[in-house]
Amino acid sequence: MNLVVIETKSAGKLNPASLETIAAARELGAPVAAVLLEAEETPLAAELARQGVERVLVARHPALARYSPDVWVQSLVQVIGHAQPKRVLLPHSYQVRDFAPQLATRMAAPLIADVIGFQGEGFVRPMYQGKWSAEVRAANPETIVFATIQIGAFRGQPAAGTAAPIELVTVSPSPSLLTAEAPFQEAKQAVDLSQAAIIVAAGRGIKEPKNLELVKQLADALGGELAASRPICDSGWLPMDRQIGSSGQTVAPKLYVAVGISGAIQHLVGMKGSRTIVAINKDPEAPIFEVADYGVVGNLFEVVPELVRALESSPA
Amino acid sequence: MCLKQVPAKDAPLRLAADQRSIREDVAFEINEPDAFALETGLRLKEAHGGEVAAITVGPARASQALREALAKGADRAIHVTGDDAPRLDPYAAAEAITRAIAGEKFDLILTGLQSDDAGFGQTGVIVAELQGAPHATIIMQIEPAGADRVRVKRELEGGFFQFVELPTPAVLTIQSGISKIRYATLMGIKQAKNKPLTTVTLEEIGVNPSLNRQVVEKLFAPVKSKGTTMIEGGAKEQAAKLADILRHQIRL
Amino acid sequence: MEHPKIDAPVLIVGAGPAGLACALHLARLMDAAGLAKDEIYLLEKGRAIGAHQLSGAVMDPRALLELEPDFASDPALGAIPVTDDALLVMTEEHAVRSPVTPPPLNNHGNYIINLPRLAQWLGAKVEAAGLNVFTSFAGRELLFDGRKLVGVRTDDKGVGRDGKPKSNFEPGYDIHSPIIVLAEGPRGSLTRELQGRLQLSGENPQVYSLGVKEIWDLPEGRFPRGRVYHTLGFPLPTNMYGGGWIYGLDDNQVSIGLMTALEYPDPATDCHNLFQKFKTHPYMRDLLSGGTMARYGAKTTPMGGWYALPPMTGDGWLVIGDAAGLVNSQRLKGIHFAIKSGMLAAESVFDTLTGKGTLAGYPAKVNASWIRRELWPVRNFHQGFEHGLLAGFLNTGLEMLTGGRGLRARYPSRPGHERMRKVDKLGPPPIEVVPDGKLTFNKVTDVFHSGTRHEEDQPCHLLIADTDICHTRCVREYGNPCQSFCPAQVYEMQIGEDGAKRLHLNPSNCVHCKTCDIMDPYQIITWVPPEGGGGPSY
Repeated sequence: MNLVVIETKSAGKLNPASLETIAAARELGAPVAAVLLEAEETPLAAELARQGVERVLVARHPALARYSPDVWVQSLVQVIGHAQPKRVLLPHSYQVRDFAPQLATRMAAPLIADVIGFQGEGFVRPMYQGKWSAEVRAANPETIVFATIQIGAFRGQPAAGTAAPIELVTVSPSPSLLTAEAPFQEAKQAVDLSQAAIIVAAGRGIKEPKNLELVKQLADALGGELAASRPICDSGWLPMDRQIGSSGQTVAPKLYVAVGISGAIQHLVGMKGSRTIVAINKDPEAPIFEVADYGVVGNLFEVVPELVRALESSPA
Repeated sequence: MCLKQVPAKDAPLRLAADQRSIREDVAFEINEPDAFALETGLRLKEAHGGEVAAITVGPARASQALREALAKGADRAIHVTGDDAPRLDPYAAAEAITRAIAGEKFDLILTGLQSDDAGFGQTGVIVAELQGAPHATIIMQIEPAGADRVRVKRELEGGFFQFVELPTPAVLTIQSGISKIRYATLMGIKQAKNKPLTTVTLEEIGVNPSLNRQVVEKLFAPVKSKGTTMIEGGAKEQAAKLADILRHQIRL
Repeated sequence: MEHPKIDAPVLIVGAGPAGLACALHLARLMDAAGLAKDEIYLLEKGRAIGAHQLSGAVMDPRALLELEPDFASDPALGAIPVTDDALLVMTEEHAVRSPVTPPPLNNHGNYIINLPRLAQWLGAKVEAAGLNVFTSFAGRELLFDGRKLVGVRTDDKGVGRDGKPKSNFEPGYDIHSPIIVLAEGPRGSLTRELQGRLQLSGENPQVYSLGVKEIWDLPEGRFPRGRVYHTLGFPLPTNMYGGGWIYGLDDNQVSIGLMTALEYPDPATDCHNLFQKFKTHPYMRDLLSGGTMARYGAKTTPMGGWYALPPMTGDGWLVIGDAAGLVNSQRLKGIHFAIKSGMLAAESVFDTLTGKGTLAGYPAKVNASWIRRELWPVRNFHQGFEHGLLAGFLNTGLEMLTGGRGLRARYPSRPGHERMRKVDKLGPPPIEVVPDGKLTFNKVTDVFHSGTRHEEDQPCHLLIADTDICHTRCVREYGNPCQSFCPAQVYEMQIGEDGAKRLHLNPSNCVHCKTCDIMDPYQIITWVPPEGGGGPSY
């Protein structure tokens, strides 16, 4: 049995990454159980039960009201001890990366991070900034294996299937050593594009800085971040922290849309690990089309406004 | 603070004969996230006094990275060395660090978020577990908060942040890009030669790849099985088709 | 601005073969005399020793044998003895092996050397000897006291693109030293500043060639290790001096390249593109089929010979190696001179430190050594080609019979950029090879494969005295040759917001070859080092 650790969004909703993790677990074939950590009863358990899992485990304790690594680790040790899964899958989120290595180590198990696929008994994960893929497996086949699943690597989708049984598991974590205050939002100093699931990038093809507005509209329509190739940042049209490429950031989002970017190799190495690449360029010979999954040869000043219109009239 | 020496950003990486590692005949440099961790440590020292020690688990070549850390202002360095160092997984590396610093008392252990080569992103947190110390990750600010406590600012997803207080000794993994990394000055480089650099072998502390909990079976070029689907038509048509693909196939 | 000051008894700028040989030999002399050496500074602008040394060279071992007699057996250096060599004469379709290899191109007894590796190998010895090599530190400016050179100012670090200090700003150091050895390589920027300030030059102007090269991974056994081929003819027309090469390295790698003299008449000449054309020759195509390009690089080499050597010493300084122009352009060899001149310089420095002599004694040492014995007979070699290949061969023959004199004592010459003709006197521009991305590449792709990296947020290191000339005079007279001669696409004329063409620079592409400084027809471009640590990573 494979256990999926569910992560919730702060508003008490299922994090889409959790659904992706369930999808990943199901690909492995064995029965899937999901564990939810909450402070008090919410409709989440029932919603979770219909997502194509065999079993839902719920750990409910006041200490789970606000995340802290030590409480999470203690609770999950107890849940895992109870459920005895072969594998534990978690989404590769900031929060998971904060506690999962501790959890795995405490249970004398490996944590294979940032998994994008499975190969036999092994897990496939990127290494060297996506230049190579690695097949990794546990050194000892007898232990539990923990794996974090790369965001966007699997397609997760909310379902409304038959409800699986929900089981309450007792956990008794000691109070956290950490005192965490409430999370707050703030304009970020620097943009961390490596965390964006959708990126729309502008290249020299946009010709003038005022045309960035057009590309931004597309980014907004898709719910993504705006980025650029080096010439745009060099000219000061966008700050350097929006630059993708060998002298900027390396990203591998779920969707990368390259608008007016020719695809010089310095740029490609920064984004070709993206799950889906869409390129819009007027030059059919542009190298960007070699890495693109979908290519549109056309005038971006015509295509992009039409695309924004089409997207806005068919909301997700 | 813990640092790792990784292949230089644009070094051409070629597969070694065993197909499960990269050839070593490339240029190396300090892992960039670790450079931010070092910078954080040096700023803490400048603001609050104290001492910064740099440690790395790496083969002979990694001493260069430690010397750079000393040149930038670290007071001393510890090189846990052995030919097997590149083959250690995060757990074994964390064990090596823990054993090498056994008997020392550090208020804070700082690491970078992850290494730019293997990118496991776990060693810092595992060190915390092995040390029995509390930890926090993706830290942007650190301030003392009374005796034996620090208040740190964590970065969360989606533009959220959070302040957390925890007792020391603690392990913190540092967010990249939080400040400009300082340059090593000429005098710094000269003075680095006279700062203590102790060497501990992996053999001495009983760490080797048999401690690994995970194993890289092989490395291969990422498989790109799909071809390019060109979308035909005039602008309006192309836009419509593409919007359709984006909404339904990619499920945005 | 305050610059921290350091006093050093000796300062060497440049950790290439010349600077390192000087440092190593000096360290040994100091050790033998029981003198302290820890205040000797060696500056290197590259990120690491060897980063800016372009590899795949053939070296005459005589100098290295003096410095390190056992070099050939050290696997850490991996010197490959030349096993066979030949001259291939190429026409558009054919490559004919010359039945006799001209003696200057006979490389029997020589070694194929990976130059970055040689630098690293020597560098390790220099550091083991206790000297400080400061990588990522460039010599940015000279410090004078009247006509006396008293020091070198290193680069300011952490300056933004707008010229303002960033939060990690560190001012450059003023390193004061009574003995400064400039070992910067071809067209060294401090050496240029020195020559400009003190009005120094050789009897002939220095002329250069640009070498554009790639390292390829080939299928097993395609080209044997140790084989050295030189080529003449295709793709260069007879009014252009130059040639290609193919060297067999370890691990089924080859170094291939094309060297073109930077004194061509047509401003649209693009040496990078000529090299791509070179690869399209049937012989090269066959050689490279199934292979992959691993690394790219470009660098200039001085070709002027003996009469183009400027004074090598002055009040407080010495110039050695390629920076001094010490290259045998006939044999295409300079590494041995770099090492030997470094060793002789070390002796002069040692003599000066111990009061047994002065820096002024250095030229006499060079004159008494095999450096002069080798360079003197070929003193007119390059200049003999002023009027084309045929004239060149005739002159060479004549020179060989007359011990180098030829038709007259000194063949005059002009600086390369003066040979560039204005576009109205020329026919259509040469047809360019369109890169296919597999055999031939565009400049930007090649730059990526040179490992070139610079801190993006820094002032531009290409100082152009008057950018108006670019879009007023140059565009009419020469058609903006900077776009063609730079092998890294640093220079581009772009249509600005007002519809007019303006010069746009991509300084972070720069591979530090100095071609722009050499070839710009108005001589308004001055190359200075960017922030230390940037540049290629060969």
